[in-house]
Amino acid sequence: MTQLLQALVLGLLIGGVYALMASGLALIFGVMRIINIAQGALLILVAMFTWWMWRETGIDPILASVVTTPLMFGFGWILYRTVISRIRDQSASMSVLLTFGFALVVEGVLNVVAGNKFRSATPFYFAESFRVGSISLPKTQVYGFAAAVLVLAALYLILTRTWTGRAIRATSQNPSGAALVGVGAAGTAALAFALGTATTGVGGSILSVLYPFFPASHYDWISRLLGIVVLGGMGSLPGAMVGALILGLAETLTATYGGLRWSTLVFYLVIMLVLLLRPQGLFGAKLREDAA
Amino acid sequence: MSRVRAMPRQHLVAGVCLLALVLYPLISPWEPYPQGVILLGFMLAIQASSWNIISGFAGYISLGHSMFLGLGSYTVAICALRWGVNPLWLMPLGGVTAVVAALLIGSVVLRTSGHAFVIITIAMLLAAQILAVNFKGFTQGSDGITLELPFWSRDYQNIPFYYIFLALLVLTVLYTAWIRRTKFGTGLIAIREDEGKAASIGVNTTRFKIVGYAASAFFIGVAGGVYAYYLTFLNPVGSFAILGSVVIVLAALTGGKGTLYGPVVGAFIVQLASEAATVYGGGSQTRVLLFGAALVAVVLFMPAGLLPTIEARWRKLHPVTIEFTDQAGALGRSPATTRERALEDVADAVADDLSQGEVLLDVRGASKSFGGLVAVDNASLSVRKGSITGLIGPNGSGKTTLFNLITGGMAADSGEIYLQGQRIDKMPPWQRGHLGLGRTFQVTRLFKDMTVQQNVVAPLPDSRWRTMFADAVSGHEAARAGELLDIVGLRRFAGERAGDLSYGQQKLVELAQVLMLEPQLILLDEPAGGVNPSLLGRLTEVIRELNERGITFLVVEHNIPLVLELCDPVVVFSRGRSIAEGPPGTIREDPVVLDAYLGDDWRPVPDGKAPNTVQTANQTGAR
Repeated sequence: MTQLLQALVLGLLIGGVYALMASGLALIFGVMRIINIAQGALLILVAMFTWWMWRETGIDPILASVVTTPLMFGFGWILYRTVISRIRDQSASMSVLLTFGFALVVEGVLNVVAGNKFRSATPFYFAESFRVGSISLPKTQVYGFAAAVLVLAALYLILTRTWTGRAIRATSQNPSGAALVGVGAAGTAALAFALGTATTGVGGSILSVLYPFFPASHYDWISRLLGIVVLGGMGSLPGAMVGALILGLAETLTATYGGLRWSTLVFYLVIMLVLLLRPQGLFGAKLREDAA
Repeated sequence: MSRVRAMPRQHLVAGVCLLALVLYPLISPWEPYPQGVILLGFMLAIQASSWNIISGFAGYISLGHSMFLGLGSYTVAICALRWGVNPLWLMPLGGVTAVVAALLIGSVVLRTSGHAFVIITIAMLLAAQILAVNFKGFTQGSDGITLELPFWSRDYQNIPFYYIFLALLVLTVLYTAWIRRTKFGTGLIAIREDEGKAASIGVNTTRFKIVGYAASAFFIGVAGGVYAYYLTFLNPVGSFAILGSVVIVLAALTGGKGTLYGPVVGAFIVQLASEAATVYGGGSQTRVLLFGAALVAVVLFMPAGLLPTIEARWRKLHPVTIEFTDQAGALGRSPATTRERALEDVADAVADDLSQGEVLLDVRGASKSFGGLVAVDNASLSVRKGSITGLIGPNGSGKTTLFNLITGGMAADSGEIYLQGQRIDKMPPWQRGHLGLGRTFQVTRLFKDMTVQQNVVAPLPDSRWRTMFADAVSGHEAARAGELLDIVGLRRFAGERAGDLSYGQQKLVELAQVLMLEPQLILLDEPAGGVNPSLLGRLTEVIRELNERGITFLVVEHNIPLVLELCDPVVVFSRGRSIAEGPPGTIREDPVVLDAYLGDDWRPVPDGKAPNTVQTANQTGAR
């Protein structure tokens, strides 16, 4: 019983972090129909940067997201303006190839600069836990979860309460309609891409304390995130939240009862099942233009 | 000699290259290093050419195609060890495993259109790697499998492998060339250009995509078996390498995806560049960076690929002038014999019963709403066999949505639709096409990058595998397409890119395309919109002729004088349902109709003034 409860709580905690990471992917797909395969590589890039800052200055890795998030926002904006926007008029599959190529570039650069070995940021509370009754909650997981929820809440407020957020949502629902009422598509797309990339700032910083990482681990991460958005329904933010929690739980439960080496396979199994039973995902809607 | 001269230049070049590659080990047998590099080039070319079938022709990008190489390797290696057979005899098994895996994955993912496919291909590659590590009893896990050394004398080095891979490459290219020539290949390209339209002309998009994916796996699986024997060792990380997939995509993209020789050319470029990078550029660490940068560069600066770019430049330097605006030519009648035969063909398909009065299409209480907007509201409509039924109504009255419900572009929320007594509203669009239901679109949806001829050949009148693999370039199907183009007077444009034709001409081509379905009923969505008066005359003439041969029409049109002249009966739609039906004479005087649609200022005009009205309405229609 305790073991089950422990697994459930840990699953929820990690699910919250996944939700944050996947929200960027869902946001970018929702607005631009671009599957940003580089999202995983950017997470690793930030994790590496956070690790380096933590080692050099001793700054807390999770608090470091105060620095990395605006940095990644700017990085995303520049990336969109200089590279991604060039293929706006081409088919969606070209954007997959482009972001995939970019992910490889990031991996290659990290390989050359930092070397191909495992790293992990270990602040002083790394091995400590909170105890609630019989279950123990590792402090890194709790802080990571708290940071993720905080940022998700901020993202929600930005999307619902600001003009920029409304412009982004309008563009995602009807690009030409949004353009007609004075929302510049290019500018909005750049903002959405930047916002989506900014989530890797927080996500990557959290990742650096939760999991050991090396340049090629971005494949694990992007396949997790893709699984989440497919489960939730491509481009749906609430879907990404729910999908992340479900997969977080599924992964932790499999690791607890089935062994660690099967836990990653759960993701792929879930993706296939979802596509078999409900191809549009949990929260995905079939749109009018899909039909014609 | 004349045969050789008639062959396209590219095949000649390919033949010469093949000859050189066959002779190379004979001329200089003691150079294992360059032979090894070329051999890997062959293998990459096999993979890139195969990838081209699903991702180049059908446009569904796979980022996990190296999975099939790994599956082939493991199948052959495991079976060879278990049965004590030489791996070479088992290489077809590698292809079989790859095909089975592709069929399983494809039938889950490819039932819908969209972005899930690319995600799944990456996921499955990574999953395969994990499975190969975890199923230790089967695959020996991370330790990998070691195979026996080749049975031939060391003096032959890798020359036997060289020829095996070369033979496989030749087979792969011939195989893709064959697919490209069939209606299956044409259908795959149609899916790439416009999947919804492809479904409306009888292309079973689900089956085509799944078969295409399986077809693209076979030769990679076979090559995988040989590759395992060549390396004599395989492990999960090496066999299911994501970088292997990247190289496949890069090769096909560099040479030109969707072309026959592009992936082969690209494979050799990438292979040589990769070899140079290994020799001069440092270890495998930099390879990731180089391949990534190359992929980004190709997507950004040469998305079409090398061969298409060269071809485009060649065409620019050697332009061929065609008179697109030659009205006399466009309106010209073809020799009557051909046309008569073609029309009889069409008539044969529906010759069973022409008795006026039988209901062919019956819509009963169909509804469709988009959110709060009710586009079609409990609408009923019947079209009698042999009629040209007109469907008019103000903009937004639900006519096009009704068309989409009938042809299966959208699913109705409720209601039933029958074609010749058979319920069709639950069928996918292509199945309705096979029953003899064809449609044209309000804004023409030709496959713009295909030739006019290919556009007309693409439709499939039935679901038989024989039809699917029929030759589309020559033979019966192509001849028929030519005849149909004669009917609309556009045969001389057969070799042109469809997107280069004028809008009116495209409408005529779309009509010819629908005729390929051997339809009983054709739904025309605003056939006169944007068509100039002389072409419009040709169009109505064709519609009348086809109708006399037994084809029923349902026509949505805003050009009222045209409708009143051509159609009988006329149905009037308003707010998602029909409000009046009857012969044109009655409709034009029906006060309900005048009020709902034509407005107060429209009054029936004396026959003498009709041409004037035609022109006015024409301009309105074109807008």
